[in-house]
Amino acid sequence: MADSRLERMADVLVNYSVAVQPGEWVALRGDAVALPAMQAIFAAVLKAGGNPTLMLSDEAMTRSYLRGANDDQLTWVNPMQKLTYEKVDTLINVLGSHNTRSMTGIDPKRLQQRQRANRELSEIFRQRDGEGSLKWTVTQYPTHADAQEANMSLEEYEDFVYGAMLLDQDDPVAEWRKLAAMQQKKIDWLKGKQQVTLQGPNIDLSLSIDGRVFINADGTKNFPDGEIFTGPVEDSVNGWVRFSYPSIVGGRAVSGIELRFENGKVVEASAEQNEDLLYAQLDADEGSRTLGEFAISTNFGIQQFTGNILFDEKIGGTVHMAIGSGYAETGSQNTSAVHWDMICDMRQDSTIRVDGDLFYENGAFVIEEA
Amino acid sequence: MADVRLQRLANVLVNYSTEVQPGEWVGVLGDVAALPALREVYAAVIKAGGYPSLMLSDEYMSRLLLREGSDDQLEWLDPSHTLYYEQADVYIRVNATSNTRAMTGISGKRTQRYSSAHRSWLDTRLSRAAEGKMKWVGTQVPSEASAQEANMSLEEYEAFVFGATFCDQEDPVAEWRKISAMQQKKVDWLAGKKHVKLQGPNVDLQLSIDGRTFINSDGHKNMPSGEIFTGPVEESVNGWIRFDYPSIVSGRAVKGIELRFENGKVVEASAEENDELLQAQLDTDAGSRYLGEFAIGTNFGIQQFTGSILFDEKIGGTVHVAIGTGYPETGSKNRSAVHWDMICDMRNDSEIHVDDELFYRNGEFVV
Repeated sequence: MADSRLERMADVLVNYSVAVQPGEWVALRGDAVALPAMQAIFAAVLKAGGNPTLMLSDEAMTRSYLRGANDDQLTWVNPMQKLTYEKVDTLINVLGSHNTRSMTGIDPKRLQQRQRANRELSEIFRQRDGEGSLKWTVTQYPTHADAQEANMSLEEYEDFVYGAMLLDQDDPVAEWRKLAAMQQKKIDWLKGKQQVTLQGPNIDLSLSIDGRVFINADGTKNFPDGEIFTGPVEDSVNGWVRFSYPSIVGGRAVSGIELRFENGKVVEASAEQNEDLLYAQLDADEGSRTLGEFAISTNFGIQQFTGNILFDEKIGGTVHMAIGSGYAETGSQNTSAVHWDMICDMRQDSTIRVDGDLFYENGAFVIEEA
Repeated sequence: MADVRLQRLANVLVNYSTEVQPGEWVGVLGDVAALPALREVYAAVIKAGGYPSLMLSDEYMSRLLLREGSDDQLEWLDPSHTLYYEQADVYIRVNATSNTRAMTGISGKRTQRYSSAHRSWLDTRLSRAAEGKMKWVGTQVPSEASAQEANMSLEEYEAFVFGATFCDQEDPVAEWRKISAMQQKKVDWLAGKKHVKLQGPNVDLQLSIDGRTFINSDGHKNMPSGEIFTGPVEESVNGWIRFDYPSIVSGRAVKGIELRFENGKVVEASAEENDELLQAQLDTDAGSRYLGEFAIGTNFGIQQFTGSILFDEKIGGTVHVAIGTGYPETGSKNRSAVHWDMICDMRNDSEIHVDDELFYRNGEFVV
């Protein structure tokens, strides 16, 4: 039976997140396993007057490609995809998998070769995103495999996903606008501020946001969403942080990470599990020991860790930071091949002070507005 | 689990029908209902060294567009598909459906608006194919819906489809080469001939093939195939014919059709069921009362009518004619928005004479 929440999700995505206008070319990307979501989104795009096209993939074919393709095939760029990336007005990505571990046996070198070839596409994407000529969003369709990855049954995971999207509310769009307005007030207040100090059982860290810009992540490019983020001044970070949840890299979980910073650089690092992966990431390049992002998460529809960064980095009452490359629009100057998010719980005995003012306590903002 | 017959079918499509070469850009098209077959085709394309572009569609979404799309939406062309038709080397379409009657409630006008807007893709494919710049093949794989349409169980229908494509045999490609060689002999024999006369309990018809070309349809564009066809000289058709099998138009069956021709034109027509549809088709335009095609079906792997023209028109021991548009490569000059195939059984007491020589009797070639 059709889940009515899918229709609501499609409605919010199409009419709020990317606000499809009549005549726009809207490409829907995703695996065939996400068909029910794609169908609902397709219907909503049609209703909004857009021209929906399908870029359906199939995990089994993707795998047979990665396994069987010769070098020429691996480095071939599909002209249809390239043209779509160049010309499409709106791109809606729907995540959802048959088997989140099905790529485990694929030779990572072949994967990298394929990714290098597709860099041409991601460059087009980045450029058009930067100049604002492309609207895009990423969302999740709950499947058995994704539920399994989160240690949940499908019905529990559906409740989790749709709850995080605020679709269990009477008027989800109104809720998202409310969240956007709340976040905007904090961002306005933070404008011109300089020094951030985080304290609590998991953290004792200071960093500068002098001249940097906070971005309001309000459900437009990620759905669900709920965070404000910036790029800290590169050499300003000092102190210590312990991350409360495992951080996933290449499908493997690194848990119990602790980092100590001196003048912006990670000078000590340890992990309880898969520490070698942590070191490999830190040593990747020049920028990979420096923070590219600092963010405060605001989505209280997400209460638990599921191993999916689209959700994990928005858990209400947490902060997260990423080592590696930052977002140019925040003013971050750090560049790296790495962008690795790590999440720190702030819900107990924790505070954030900004220029000496108490800004945030135990997972909630305490300033109202400027 | 993978059906070995599907793997054989994929091999036939990729390595016989379209002969995919390393470095060729290959479109793999079909509905998600055909996913298992599409996966095999995709894997075969990779093995052959081609560059596969997957173009998956979904019946539900296609229907939704036809039902609810505005005129602008119906007529909009995806630029990436236009690029594909203009530049790709190979087109492989695998059809399958979850419901053969799902379009019944969609307005014909809206379907027509969509089709005419998308005609440029079809025209580009066919004209590039005629120039030798694009290879294409279409096939249909079994589904419960198609089995139901054919009054069969799924496993019976699978046996039927894989029998018709010879994929129930070890080496289907060898079978197709055999049919191709046999048909080529008939096509060679027919070259330069003029007069065709069909006689039997269902037919008493004559037509001229003077200056026209027979095409050897041997599994390169349709899988299955198995027919030789031409376009008769437009004004030369005279006589009478009764069609044994229903002819399907827009998902509706017209049964018991009889036509009488005078100087190429249908002058009398009747059907036992859905006669008004027959009359509407005949009255479509200037070309829709003339034959665009005359063909002899040769696929004895197909013994029964299933309501799918891909299979029906190749039934071994039948002939078919189509009112409406003909194929330019045959020399046919008839043009119409209609191309409607009708099938006539020749397996009993029936003969075809060519220039007064006995050419075919009771479903088999005798030359």
